[in-house]
Amino acid sequence: MGVRITGIGIVSAIGLSVEENLLALTEGRSGIAPAVFFQEASRNLLVGEVKVSDNDLKTQLGTGAANISRTSLLGLKAAREAWGSNVHTPALRTGIISATSVGGMDRSEVFYKDYLAQNNPDFSLLKTHDSGSTTERIAAVMGISGYINTLSTACSSGANAIMLGARLLIHGKLDRVLVGGSDALTKFTIDGFRSLMIYDDQWCRPFDESRSGLNLGEGAAFLLLENDKSIAFSGNKTLCYVSGWANAADAYHQTASSPEGKGATLAIENAIHRSEVTAQGISYVNAHGTGTKNNDLSESVALKNVFGENIPAFSSTKAFTGHTLAAAGAIEAVFSVLSIQHNLIYPNLNFRKAITETGLEPVTSLQTDKPVDAVLSNSFGFGGNNSSLVFTKK
Amino acid sequence: MFYISAASSISHQPTFKNAGFSAFIGPLTESSALVSPDYKGFIEAGLLRRMSKILRMSVACSKDCIEQAGIEQPNAIVVGTGLGCLQDTEKFLNNSITIEGLLPPTAFIQSTHNTMAGQISLSIGNHGYNMTHTQNTLSFEHALQDAMLLLNEGEKHILVGAADEYIEILTEISGQLNIRPETLLASGASFFVLSKEKTTASLAVVKDCVTTGLVQDIPEKIASFLSDNGLKASDLDLILYSGASNGLNHDDVFLKTLPASLGKCVDYLQLSGIYPTASAFALHYAADLMNQNKSLKNILIYNSLIQRNLGLTLVQSIEA
Repeated sequence: MGVRITGIGIVSAIGLSVEENLLALTEGRSGIAPAVFFQEASRNLLVGEVKVSDNDLKTQLGTGAANISRTSLLGLKAAREAWGSNVHTPALRTGIISATSVGGMDRSEVFYKDYLAQNNPDFSLLKTHDSGSTTERIAAVMGISGYINTLSTACSSGANAIMLGARLLIHGKLDRVLVGGSDALTKFTIDGFRSLMIYDDQWCRPFDESRSGLNLGEGAAFLLLENDKSIAFSGNKTLCYVSGWANAADAYHQTASSPEGKGATLAIENAIHRSEVTAQGISYVNAHGTGTKNNDLSESVALKNVFGENIPAFSSTKAFTGHTLAAAGAIEAVFSVLSIQHNLIYPNLNFRKAITETGLEPVTSLQTDKPVDAVLSNSFGFGGNNSSLVFTKK
Repeated sequence: MFYISAASSISHQPTFKNAGFSAFIGPLTESSALVSPDYKGFIEAGLLRRMSKILRMSVACSKDCIEQAGIEQPNAIVVGTGLGCLQDTEKFLNNSITIEGLLPPTAFIQSTHNTMAGQISLSIGNHGYNMTHTQNTLSFEHALQDAMLLLNEGEKHILVGAADEYIEILTEISGQLNIRPETLLASGASFFVLSKEKTTASLAVVKDCVTTGLVQDIPEKIASFLSDNGLKASDLDLILYSGASNGLNHDDVFLKTLPASLGKCVDYLQLSGIYPTASAFALHYAADLMNQNKSLKNILIYNSLIQRNLGLTLVQSIEA
């Protein structure tokens, strides 16, 4: 049995709303470009930046000039859109689960730079450092109290928040829950991926033989999940269902994925099994596809392990948004919902030549002519953390 | 009913591989330090050199738990951490600001919050569900709730725990921000095997665990938590609460409502020191106490280390 998705909200490099993101996806327009708002990025570094400043976000959201991390601001914007015009009632238990990998690191960096330079550092900036506080900030503005939780499993975090929310609804612990993730660009993560030598100075090229790394992005997305009791109150229309989910550990290496795609294979198989859709019933795979040598090969092997020769249409949307880390699973969940709603399969931008070892070719132009009934979305992270979700029309 | 079939803590107290520690530990003094075991027995030397304190503590406690429980593999690994891998985070942040050019990646790799859960899965070759919760002072309770969900979904044994590490800058930060500056800031890790079935190894039962973020009315929440579990405050044999260091606990909104006839209340932060997931230490302490003293049937862990966030865990003796 699946869990109803009744609201979606998103902010990413390709738009500040669901509508803007959908338009860019259908037009094949990438949001990756040299940084404009993020001052710490070196010149011409390609990033998937959300095209709005912190101050403008604060004005739009009406938060005042308070010390709020960009992670919270982006998250709040997406959470508001997903929540829409829903109202609070004591009759329903409402929760929120967000995912983040950097938390308020964007503010902590400002503090630490001044701290090292002994330049009158502002210690109060650190109040937004801890990841949990970024979610509490969103919850406070949204008027949510009770179950407020944050997951942090690197690049699979957002998918895990959706999975946990679905489980809490099925167990009857909550009636409705906002689930998603948010991460802002930081010098910390940019330098981190550069130190691993997997940051591409050119546009990232997922699943391409010439791929040589990722472009970091930022953004946030939230989904509203509701049970029957909540629907009876809200009258909300169901957009689609999250029907399958699984997480598995690769247990191979702290950052690299195993060549045989062990964890990824387990996650995909178990998520499909839970969804009660057959492997052949998957219309589209929104791949993790970061553009690193290691991920894309390992994920391709996992797809072959699960689907054999009949691999469904697949693409990575990272070349639109950049890799948004903990937000990625949530952003791509919103893309999966849109895929089902509008029968869309998105192009994998910047693809030219298949990976020699696997020969898999992603979809390279927008497909609008086939019904999309079930989408598999993959999110794989550091620590060998592999998550897969299955979204279904019914 | 969820059975604790193993418990292992590394803390500022002699807790590691020391069943019965609850009988003789007292409040920490200012000079107290982390009591570290010889990690070489748990972690291969090459790996150990690169591991920060929080990773060492987490992997050693996990391996100890699995041995105690006598299981091959847990079905899942669930970890809570309030602040994550601070040592490596600060190290990489420092490098990123002060070094031009290519940086060594190890600190970045080990800075993500799920490094503990990842390293545990690597060290025991576990391919199960692997999760990391980080909700400041409620991180452990959220991990515990996740483990309870997994057992209700049909899993048998879950390795669940929490860890946080102290780094020097925390003292300066807490002083500057006036966060309990007189209380000892500490490091600690506590891990458990939580099981569906009772065995001869079972130490205690986790009956229920509830979290309330941005809580409004603490006494009301506690009353409904107890009544949901068929209890009144007077049924509690012990309350482990997160006090303050300045002796102001008679003002605590819940504790001051309790009848004078009630047994003891113990401030577990005096024993563990302060870190975001110190309530995991309290759970081990409660289980250890129950194993020593059969008259203890119901222990409430009342975590309000951050006032706006309430964590309630009901621990019961095996026979209760």
